[in-house]
Amino acid sequence: MNERITSVQVLDDGVELTLVELCRASRAPEEQVRLWVLEGVLTPRGAAPEEWRFAATALRRARRARTLTHDLEINTPGVALALDLMDEIETLRASLRRAGL
Amino acid sequence: MKFKDYYQTLGVAREASADDIKHAYRKLARKYHPDVSKEPDAEARFKELGEAYEVLKDPEKRAAYDAIGRRAGGDDFQPPPGWDAGYEFHGSGPGGEEVDPRQFSDFFESLFGRRAAGGGGRAAGGGGRRGGGGGGAPINLRGEDHHAKVLIDLQDAYTGARRSLTLRMPAFDEQGHGVLQERTLDVSIPRGIRQGQNLRLAGQGGPGLGSGPAGDLFLEIEFNPHPRFRVDGRDVYVDLPLAPWEAALGAAVPVPMPDGEVELSIPPGSAAGRKLRLKGKGIPGDPAGDLYAVLGIVLPPAGSDATRQAYEALKTAAGAGFNPRRAA
Repeated sequence: MNERITSVQVLDDGVELTLVELCRASRAPEEQVRLWVLEGVLTPRGAAPEEWRFAATALRRARRARTLTHDLEINTPGVALALDLMDEIETLRASLRRAGL
Repeated sequence: MKFKDYYQTLGVAREASADDIKHAYRKLARKYHPDVSKEPDAEARFKELGEAYEVLKDPEKRAAYDAIGRRAGGDDFQPPPGWDAGYEFHGSGPGGEEVDPRQFSDFFESLFGRRAAGGGGRAAGGGGRRGGGGGGAPINLRGEDHHAKVLIDLQDAYTGARRSLTLRMPAFDEQGHGVLQERTLDVSIPRGIRQGQNLRLAGQGGPGLGSGPAGDLFLEIEFNPHPRFRVDGRDVYVDLPLAPWEAALGAAVPVPMPDGEVELSIPPGSAAGRKLRLKGKGIPGDPAGDLYAVLGIVLPPAGSDATRQAYEALKTAAGAGFNPRRAA
């Protein structure tokens, strides 16, 4: 079965996800995502959960958070810390790459 | 099919306690977590660990696994008929909630079955779960979203690309049983795509249950490492070696680009390490990224009399005032 796919959407900076979309795409339960927002792991636009809009980059963060929570059984503050440190590592690796190291 | 030694995967003895198994799993899972590990086979190892832990943490599955006996990992293996009689997980029931069935081995599936379909028992929105189709009213559920990684070359981000992807996806047959179906998708990857970005293919994820719509398929883009170009977000870096006179006197030199070549004028008096920006020549988009040429200076070897004389002449011309070790 070979199918041609035409409707490809790039999740770039212009795309935002709702809470329901983010939960589906990251396979994280809604209560979990609410907790992450409360603890600053994810920072959506909007006040109430039904108005929350997540940047497309939040999907990657939410998927990582889910792996850390589910596979490594890390609690929410630990997840927040781990994600911040991963971001920092990425920034440092990027500057190493820029320097050609 | 090869027999998998789950105890060996986790590095524990067959007599290990549940606590030992948990600790061993956590330690190794941290080591091979694909987001942090630098091991080249981290992702594959992480999946193997997850599979081994899935069996050994569950007393029932562990007992069934132990009952097949002790073999060496990698031996050819077929489960004896009826081997799982009397264990609760028999078949591919709705157990094993959080497990992604597509990441487990054939060995695992032959023993424990695979979940009827990706997300069969999960309500849209990720909230509560329901049993997969008990006697009462028909259940209509949206299919689960799926994820896959796609490796592309940096050039593809400049020009766009077509990729043929083969995915193994859970689907339902006419009797409503879960089966793994192989699908090939032709996907066009738009130009301007960046590392780490996701593509959403609406309706190409797991099938819905009842009249529920199918889920979406997300493709995460990753670039193959390039021997020459380095990528940072939208920007691309390339080393540009110069002869000393090109750097000192200025020159027009060709700079390689991922999708061709461009001529760059080097200003006179350029030092090694200087970055020259080619605006908008990075990854295309709105705004487009920039391409940075990082200058390096390569000295011609003083192998002949002529080059030695030239270096002597340069030494005299620069005079004693030139000291490269003096702070600028």
